[in-house]
Amino acid sequence: MKVLVKVFATLRKKYPEINDMNPLVLEFEEGVTAKEIIKKLDFQISEIHLILLNGRKIKPETSISDNNGILSLFPPIGGG
Amino acid sequence: MVKGYMNKWLKVNLTTQELEEFTFSDEILRKFIGGKGIAVHYMWEYAKKLEEKRINLQEMDALSPDNILVFATGPVTGTKSPNSGRHHVMALKSPLTGSIGSGNSGGRWGAKLKFAGYDGIIVVGKADRPTYLSLIDKKAELHDATELWGKNSIETSDWLRTKHNVKRAGVSCIGPAGENLVPIAVIMNEEHRAAGRTGLGAVMGSKNFKAIIVEGKAKPEIANPKEFGSKVKEHVEKLKENGVTGQGLPTYGTAVLVNIVNQNGLFPTKNWQSGVFDEAEKLSGETLTEEYLISKHPCYGCVVACGRKTKVDKGNYKTSYTEGPEYESIWALGGSTAVSDMSAVIRANHYCDILGMDPISMGSTIAAAMELTQNGKIPEDDSQGLKVEFGNPDAVVELAWMTAYRQGLGYWIGEGSRKMCQHYGAPDLSMEVKGLEMPAYDPRGAKGIGLNYATSNRGGCHVTGYTIAAEVLGDVDRFTIEGKAELTKTFQDFTSIVNSSVNCLFLTFALGLDEYAEMIGPITGWDVNADELLKTGERITNLERMILNKLGLSGKDDTLPKRLTDEKMPSGPSEGQTVDLETMKQEYYHLRGWEDGIPTVSKISELGLN
Repeated sequence: MKVLVKVFATLRKKYPEINDMNPLVLEFEEGVTAKEIIKKLDFQISEIHLILLNGRKIKPETSISDNNGILSLFPPIGGG
Repeated sequence: MVKGYMNKWLKVNLTTQELEEFTFSDEILRKFIGGKGIAVHYMWEYAKKLEEKRINLQEMDALSPDNILVFATGPVTGTKSPNSGRHHVMALKSPLTGSIGSGNSGGRWGAKLKFAGYDGIIVVGKADRPTYLSLIDKKAELHDATELWGKNSIETSDWLRTKHNVKRAGVSCIGPAGENLVPIAVIMNEEHRAAGRTGLGAVMGSKNFKAIIVEGKAKPEIANPKEFGSKVKEHVEKLKENGVTGQGLPTYGTAVLVNIVNQNGLFPTKNWQSGVFDEAEKLSGETLTEEYLISKHPCYGCVVACGRKTKVDKGNYKTSYTEGPEYESIWALGGSTAVSDMSAVIRANHYCDILGMDPISMGSTIAAAMELTQNGKIPEDDSQGLKVEFGNPDAVVELAWMTAYRQGLGYWIGEGSRKMCQHYGAPDLSMEVKGLEMPAYDPRGAKGIGLNYATSNRGGCHVTGYTIAAEVLGDVDRFTIEGKAELTKTFQDFTSIVNSSVNCLFLTFALGLDEYAEMIGPITGWDVNADELLKTGERITNLERMILNKLGLSGKDDTLPKRLTDEKMPSGPSEGQTVDLETMKQEYYHLRGWEDGIPTVSKISELGLN
């Protein structure tokens, strides 16, 4: 199963080439959790403030089972 | 005398050229604090006086000498409390909306006004020739501004600083747009900061009032310096440790929001026809930082530094130095118009800054013009060869310039989207509330912000009740309407406190009402707590609403464009959503103690407003 990972803001310090138009495509077994993907990317879970799967908030423990699902990872951000 | 204030206000009558100093009682200061709160209090009393003179407020022209401008600071402004350089500006009536005029600005002007010896300035009447005001070292003087008329915000500030020989003085001024009475004109300060929204610049222009220069060495006294110093230290630590104020905003500025809002599918695109912009990455804070950033630019006493100094080195829109653009400007001039060329957005935003216009209203109205073109509603004679089409960067840049000088289609852009869409026979394409163009979050993807747009006293506005912090950036369910009435009310009343203190709304990512009590208490000497502050915020929001009611606004005006309530979001992560505004609004009115958008007698009495 393919997961398209996008990282944003300060998380790009580790993956400067990954962005909305150029996601990282990774292969996982169906049912992988967001937490496992975050670990695989070598992030601490505490660095991640918001996780979106296809634009909807999910928890780190949420299992992912849709092929080509888009996982967006954000540190704490705000503005206005 | 309450500490924290300069305990001196200036009333300027431009018709008679009289200057009068006055103060507010301790009781009034405690009830309304300062900034927006004290401005609302003053305007309420002023509105009653106009009524006594048999002036019909509903028919009063916002550009008449009877309208009033209030520049206000609060007890926190200009102290060592972090991010305290801001000020609030209000007008009894907005030329854009017919509702109240209101804007809050960063920079250092607010702090400098207090250093000059004043808490605020009231401006009434109309000068018979261009005029400016100097407030330097506790001395107030009016001067002829004929030489300044026609100058932009940079030229005006340079001219005044040179003339008065004060290099770093704060200058608040209008540009050509304000002089030309463009209803989306703003009042600029420090060249690139704005009391934006609701056309305050046109009110200033209608009074032949060009600028206010402020400088001085006076400092507000602090009631309990030791306790205050210790709280300042604690608050600065909290701001530095917080992920938003300590990392996200300092690194990328407010534009860091482009990607997250777009990823959630609520980034209004093509005049709100969609919630996803495929090229948003090109407009992101990450792109701005990598390709256009010169350096960060903090406001007075700021420990966050979200401000940006930027430049465009190459291409058609070379700009050697500017500031911003902020998230909202990027969205309005970029996403809303489907223009992904960041350099064009920077250029158009620069024109808004130097000519003195609101980039949200500008971009949103240009986007509406683009949809009017898409629907064949704008005759070619009106667009004069300019291709006012989605995705065309030249149209955005050209129209930004033309609007300030009321040229061609720029005339209608300057009138705002409501009047423009009515003129071209398609009022439903105007994406505004109470005539104020809505900002950069489609409420079909975050329902609470829809309720805030609908009920915000100044019209389609996010910063009067930024529920996005909870719905998109926090863990509140963004699609549900449950609990959104209470969330909106709390955000609105808390924000009234921030804008009355006056300091920066971004502090609230890290600091809550308890911390606001920890600032205001030691500064003023009041034994104040979070509950009292929230009640005070409620009082201010209600009195502001009572002014709206005098102006003829009520529940019928607390609404949203049909596109948001009736048309499902067509695609993306918010696909299929609409806003059930009516249900949220009734719950909100109930919580507020309002009937049809009007505070009840018992609510007015409870808040001590009768």
